[in-house]
Amino acid sequence: MFDLIKTLAQTFGPSGCEKKVADTITGLLKGKVDEIRTDAMGNLICVKKGTGKKIILAAHMDEIGIIVSYIDDKGFLRFSNVGGLPPLIILGQRVVFENGTVGVIWYEENIDNVKNTKLEKMFIDIGAKSRAEAEKLVKVGDMAVFVGDTIEQNGRIISKALDDRIGCAILVQLALNAPKTDNEIYYVFTTQEEVGLRGAKTAAFGIMPDMALAIDVCDMGDMPGCKPMAVSLGEGPTVKIKDRSVIAHPEVKDALIKAATKKKIPYQLEVMLEGGTDAGSIHITAGGIPSGGVSIPTRFIHDAAEMVDMKDVENAVKLLAEFVKA
Amino acid sequence: MECSELLKKLGSMSAVAGRENRATQRIAELFGEYCDEVRVDAFYNVIGIKKGKGQNPGSVLVTAHYDEIGLIVTGIEESGFLKFAPNGGVDPKAIGAMPVLVHGKEDLFGVIGTKPPHLIPPEEADKAIKMEDMRIDIGLDGEKARELVSVGDMVSFVNPAQELMNNRLAGKSMDNRSGVAALVEILKELKKLNHEDDVYVAATVQEELGLIGAFTATYNIKADLGIVIDVCHGDMPDCPSDETFPLGKGVAIAVGPILSSKHTKACIKLAKSERIPYQIDPETGDTGTEAAVHAIAREGIPVVLLSIPAKYMHTSVEMVCVDDVIATGRLAARYIAGRVKD
Repeated sequence: MFDLIKTLAQTFGPSGCEKKVADTITGLLKGKVDEIRTDAMGNLICVKKGTGKKIILAAHMDEIGIIVSYIDDKGFLRFSNVGGLPPLIILGQRVVFENGTVGVIWYEENIDNVKNTKLEKMFIDIGAKSRAEAEKLVKVGDMAVFVGDTIEQNGRIISKALDDRIGCAILVQLALNAPKTDNEIYYVFTTQEEVGLRGAKTAAFGIMPDMALAIDVCDMGDMPGCKPMAVSLGEGPTVKIKDRSVIAHPEVKDALIKAATKKKIPYQLEVMLEGGTDAGSIHITAGGIPSGGVSIPTRFIHDAAEMVDMKDVENAVKLLAEFVKA
Repeated sequence: MECSELLKKLGSMSAVAGRENRATQRIAELFGEYCDEVRVDAFYNVIGIKKGKGQNPGSVLVTAHYDEIGLIVTGIEESGFLKFAPNGGVDPKAIGAMPVLVHGKEDLFGVIGTKPPHLIPPEEADKAIKMEDMRIDIGLDGEKARELVSVGDMVSFVNPAQELMNNRLAGKSMDNRSGVAALVEILKELKKLNHEDDVYVAATVQEELGLIGAFTATYNIKADLGIVIDVCHGDMPDCPSDETFPLGKGVAIAVGPILSSKHTKACIKLAKSERIPYQIDPETGDTGTEAAVHAIAREGIPVVLLSIPAKYMHTSVEMVCVDDVIATGRLAARYIAGRVKD
């Protein structure tokens, strides 16, 4: 499973540019599901046919990135965020463009307070000495993502883009394991979650399932000085109660708890006060789709090095395998 | 049932946003008395249907949300105290020393404890307490509390509406049970009137979390006219007079860019001719109400927003005047019964 996570996490795919991730997943699932298709928003929809309930399991393919907004005379790139990007944590980070060009993020050092730095006072240096030289490698509108290895250490994974390639990896693994059920399972790999849960909206409307789950990352509360939250790494995947975008439908939440209890899979209850997930746009699609979520507790979300516990990932696969039989 | 009795009954129900199912059945029963059919959808929207007598009836959807703001348990301490966060817009300054109901495996009374003044150091005396520093005390130790309460359980405030002078009621969840009471008033009034159109009254869910129930209701019911009933700010000391409306002076008819000017004007005209007390509520933005959802649902539904002035919104002493609720119901019903279609 680690190799699968690494493959997916290292694939380039900021919001709106998820094609490489979709191609990678298509390669992994070809012949393992009954149908693979994409919709106009670029969502990758992999169907395991069945006669029972239609269930969407959604994980988003897109990752946090930056977009070039201007290239100055000296060849420095100005940029904006693609998804939620706290300026402070990106200082000194490397980013990589789709064509392999690497840049370093730095800031105008004459400002008073680094902590309050805004993105417009920051730039990317790709080593170019002039605009002309820079434009040979990068154009305005090009996107880049963090550079960050994927490693396993002490049972934990550290990598860029675990939000939400970890969810994609869980769904790919689940689809490969092919849990036995009459239900029709839609493994939906969505686009543009980080910029407003956009892909999931059209995917859900196109499929009109009976219920849906978002498989994504969530915050935790077991780090020095972090906001209190009754979720820790390694204590199990979470059953979502609430985030900023959705309150889990009681029947979906209860079905997850029942599945976990039956198979003695550890789980935690998630009340996440910041951030939303694809369930937020899915549940208010058309006449309403009962929705919930299973999340992997994650440290340093939206940073170049996010961390999850491998046990939580494996348990999430087991939990979903039981849930889809409901 | 008299409107004030109805409102007191509605105000005593607990229906925290996202967990409205506790009150669903009772609201369905209230509608059932006057409707041909009552449906509950997957999200616990309660929809009462009253068929019209027309050959080719139009359909009117009237929504008023029945969820209320509350709290959500985020942690259980060894000592049994519960940590919590807001579920909907809750002002921490307004909840100290409140009695609450924790909806765990069973309903448990609790209190939001506050430090006695004797024990507050002088330097803290003037400071507001943050919500993350508050706890709910349900009288149990950690072990027992964990048996009955889970992270994610919802908490409602306990303060059912009390009658005051001048037909006023004050209590929790008048936002927007007064709107739900107006829905029942509409149904009562329609009994007396001949109406051509099919009327759908929907008590909707999760408005306080982002107008959620209105999204599903407006999609499922293909209405050609929408009416939203919610509360607006009552007049209070030290608040801007152009954003507040006196209690007892009638229904506040909203005027604004997302609202149907044709239907709004016709409602104002009708209020005048029927001598139903009203006030004009200018709404420059998307109104922050379910009207914003109606306006862009399906092909777009022309929508009217009628508001009941409520003082002290999002506290446990929200105050409304029953006369305004009745005026709102009367105006909506008479407009539905007499409306001329496009």
